[in-house]
Amino acid sequence: MKETTFMTKMKKIPPVAYMLIILVVVFSILSPNYLTFSNLRNILIQVTPLMIVAFGQTCIVLTQGTDLSLGAQVSFATVFAVWLATKGLPIQAGILLAMVATTVIGMVNGIVVACGNVPPFIATYGMQNIVNSISLMLTAGASIYFASDFYRVIAEVNIIGLPIMIWIAVLTFILVWLVLNKTKFGICIHGIGGNREALELAGINVKLVHIRTYAFAGLVAGIAGAVALCRVESGQPTVGSGWEFQAVAATLLGGSSLREGKGNVTGTIFGVLLIQVIKNGLNVVGVASIMQNAIIGSIVLAAIIIDALVRALADK
Amino acid sequence: MNAKKIYEDFKSSNVFYSLMGLIGLIILASIIAPNFRSLNNFITILRQASVLLVLSSGLTVVLLTGGMDLSVGATAGFVGCICAQCLKSGMPVLVCMLIGLLVGAVVGCVNGLLAGILPSFIATYGTNWVMSGLAVLVMQGAIIYDLPEGFTNISVGYHGMIPNLVIIATIVVILFWVLLSKTTYGRRIYAYGSNPTAAVYAGIPARKFMVSAFVLCSVCAGFAGMLMCARLNAADAAMGDSYGLQTVAAVVVGGTSMLGGEGGILGTVIGAMILTIIINVMNLIGVSSYAQGFVIGIVIIAMVLFDTFNKKKQARKVA
Amino acid sequence: MKALDNVDFDLREGEVHILVGENGAGKSTLAKVLLGAYKAEEGEIRFDGEVVKFNGTKDAIEKGIVAVYQEFTLIPYITVAENIFLTREFKTKLGFVDHRRMEKEAGDLLKSLNCEYINPNSFVRELSVAEQQMVEIAKALSFNPRVIVFDEPTATLSEREVNSLFEQIHRLKKENIGIIYVSHRMQEFPLIGDRITILRDGVKINTVGINDCTNEELVNMMVGRDVSQVYVRTENDHSEIALQTENLCDYKGRVKNVSITVRKGEIVGLAGLVGAGRTETAELIYGINQAKSGKIMLHGKEIHPKTPVQATKYGIGLVSEDRKKQGLALSESIAMNTVAVSLTKLFPHFFMSYKKVNEVAQTYKESLRIATTSVKKPCRDLSGGNQQKVVLAKWLSFDPDVLIFDEPTRGIDVGAKMEIYALMDRLASEGKAILMISSELPEVIGMSDRIYIMHEGRIAGEVERKEFDSEAIGAQMMLGEVAK
Repeated sequence: MKETTFMTKMKKIPPVAYMLIILVVVFSILSPNYLTFSNLRNILIQVTPLMIVAFGQTCIVLTQGTDLSLGAQVSFATVFAVWLATKGLPIQAGILLAMVATTVIGMVNGIVVACGNVPPFIATYGMQNIVNSISLMLTAGASIYFASDFYRVIAEVNIIGLPIMIWIAVLTFILVWLVLNKTKFGICIHGIGGNREALELAGINVKLVHIRTYAFAGLVAGIAGAVALCRVESGQPTVGSGWEFQAVAATLLGGSSLREGKGNVTGTIFGVLLIQVIKNGLNVVGVASIMQNAIIGSIVLAAIIIDALVRALADK
Repeated sequence: MNAKKIYEDFKSSNVFYSLMGLIGLIILASIIAPNFRSLNNFITILRQASVLLVLSSGLTVVLLTGGMDLSVGATAGFVGCICAQCLKSGMPVLVCMLIGLLVGAVVGCVNGLLAGILPSFIATYGTNWVMSGLAVLVMQGAIIYDLPEGFTNISVGYHGMIPNLVIIATIVVILFWVLLSKTTYGRRIYAYGSNPTAAVYAGIPARKFMVSAFVLCSVCAGFAGMLMCARLNAADAAMGDSYGLQTVAAVVVGGTSMLGGEGGILGTVIGAMILTIIINVMNLIGVSSYAQGFVIGIVIIAMVLFDTFNKKKQARKVA
Repeated sequence: MKALDNVDFDLREGEVHILVGENGAGKSTLAKVLLGAYKAEEGEIRFDGEVVKFNGTKDAIEKGIVAVYQEFTLIPYITVAENIFLTREFKTKLGFVDHRRMEKEAGDLLKSLNCEYINPNSFVRELSVAEQQMVEIAKALSFNPRVIVFDEPTATLSEREVNSLFEQIHRLKKENIGIIYVSHRMQEFPLIGDRITILRDGVKINTVGINDCTNEELVNMMVGRDVSQVYVRTENDHSEIALQTENLCDYKGRVKNVSITVRKGEIVGLAGLVGAGRTETAELIYGINQAKSGKIMLHGKEIHPKTPVQATKYGIGLVSEDRKKQGLALSESIAMNTVAVSLTKLFPHFFMSYKKVNEVAQTYKESLRIATTSVKKPCRDLSGGNQQKVVLAKWLSFDPDVLIFDEPTRGIDVGAKMEIYALMDRLASEGKAILMISSELPEVIGMSDRIYIMHEGRIAGEVERKEFDSEAIGAQMMLGEVAK
């Protein structure tokens, strides 16, 4: 009896976890400095904002959607917070308002998708360009700066050996996990992707749940923006560009599916770590930065496809 | 009696609203931007629209199958860069262009095969990153200037009053129109997009159709990329980036449904014109280029919303 | 056409009231009106003698009227317990969902249904179809209902599960719960029913006590005319074998060693319950899925249809089960759907002519009497029966040698049904080999020259026309063996 539950638990570990282990082993053989505490800590610090975005993306994927505007929302959050600070607000207030703003952006996404019955990717693709455009207009295309000690507090003050921003990611994970697994809202998120009619027959306002999901992802993207801002210490209109894709990829790698509302946020952690380990590994091994975009894109794409094929075979 | 019926048919078609939009836009544009009405500007608009027309003709086929290709902009840039590098190495123009088209076809093949495994918008969003990365790699981060005249003439030359670019775009559009509405291939593209499962049950080779649609689309994108190069007399890794969004917008504004099976080239032509005029007017009245994404994004969302509401209305009428 | 027209219906406490009728007769519509899922345009619903108005299913649930739907209303990737208590989750003091309590209560409910083997903590997706059905029932019971509507509950259950379901229904009756039981399996009626109401084309035909009417009378009331007039078959010679399978198996274990023969000019029925493997067999022959082992032979030669493309080239056609999903491109015109399969046959040289397409479609519109003003109209504007005729036109214009009909008359009215039967008879007379899958026993018996009975993936029996006996075939469908 005990053994079978152990086996079922083993089976629940997504294949990406094994890929991750293999990669870490490969890189640590290729480079002796790889498996050091400081490099691992470095990976965690680099990955934090993307990780947070991916938590939000996971919620969207569970509703059979994808939010292509999340990366743009992160950039916008950094820009908007700094812009507000340059207008005289305290940076902390700017960050909070930026989080409110991304929540509103998410809500608009949700309204368009749920009430207009529009395929989510096209609605959020449009939104991505709108948000990017606003960021560019606020900054006239460049980065904007506002000096503050607050960034360092988040990015460099350690609690138990890890900077606060990593703890923010941990807290966000707990928040998303609780929402998805321990609240009625979370059950309904699974339901939208799994069987929308069932929710409607049970008398649930499906549109409202849908809108709340996008708004929640927006809020989470705002948190990611705050963390990103503290890392780069400036408002950058392109800092999060491409993260939405990496977040979708991480979510799919983590065992979530664009069908049936299947998935969980725990798997997403492994997906994001895999992507970051690849990026970091390329640096450590010394691949020229000019090639990295193409290589990362191809590897991520290849990873999702291998994963999809493995699952398809397993289903047979 | 028939005139009324034709009008009714036309009114219920997707093209109707796009055409109304175009006319409205032209009127609006001539009010807010006085220099919009000049003949010079008209020819400029046609020239600007040409590259977009080539791109969006190809994308229309993919959308009709119910798929999506978000990589057209990057593919155009990538192919343009490859072609430019080939030209710089001294190969004949024709050979370079053939290589470009071939690369486009390969990209399309990859997209089409990937779309069989993943939702096509995710797959092509991925290849979009790969392609722009490859473009940077091909250019080694630099920009190439001064391409051979035999090449640049394709885009900058004139036949009488009419720019070559416009002639080329017209030919491409006509080819696609014939392909989509006068051939069995085109009809089966519509059938497949309208209901892929039913198409499979009716013995239509689904995989082949998906791949062929993506190949057509990427070949068009590649061709458009080379036209861009020729027009700029330069190649830059990022030159296709802004076209990705415009192309999607042009096709969607042209009334081709996101769900496949409905729409066509005629709408896409109108959509491309609408997009070009919007951008042209924004340039004329001095709106920051950073605001373009904002306007086009809103146009896309508004258009897909309008499309679904319109469908609901039609469905209600039937019921 | 109205789905329901002036139907009076009453349900007593502690009674099982069976609702019968052919597909499209309005059974499900009536049930959905009572459940608040649809609104009635006219008339009223009285509950405990009081007039009630339902705006959505929530109102009906509050009154204690719940349903076990035919299509599952379960969410695949949340747990059994979460599904059972969906919208009524227990909360902890912190406001989070109280999984421990939900699991316990769900476990108790399942236990009372003799389903201890279902773990309330597992995902619904991991359960078998029958187990999911039991979860649906547990979900309905969790509302402490006064009235339960069962919509074709036994369609997916094995015999053992059907028996345990009937036990439950008897238990519920004793608790004075009223039960509306929507079904068309006549064998089940005497086992559980008290009264039967017969619907046809949205109109109530009669309500009778369970023992006051014979099966034959029941069928006549459902069909509306003497069965012998509905199913007309002309005698014709069939000696030459067209299609043959030998020990056909699929990869998923839904088709096991199926060997059937269909001769030219013959209509062969494939009877069985939903999930017996009939559609799966057809899909192997038509190349939708590939066979794991076994042979498919056409005119004596072995073929390997890997895709529908190849199957159509061999001259096999499939009138599929779900015309909206698999049969038609609804946004395309009638004409385009008519030539969907035959397009490249009509225009082998790439270019096509609309004039010719419309002419072809027009001839089928007339010969099949498709009710439309123009063949250029989109298919979604047509009624179900006319849509099915377009599907038939699609295959007629292609002219295959072997045609497989999968539930050819599902959800269409009696008039269109008779036309389709007449057409099938004509096709058989012209020498086509026809394999017909149908869940409606009268239809299979009325139309077939020979019947194979499938049960859990295997051929359980074969009967010639002169030996047809509906009770024996029905029993074999249910049990997989001949009743003694």
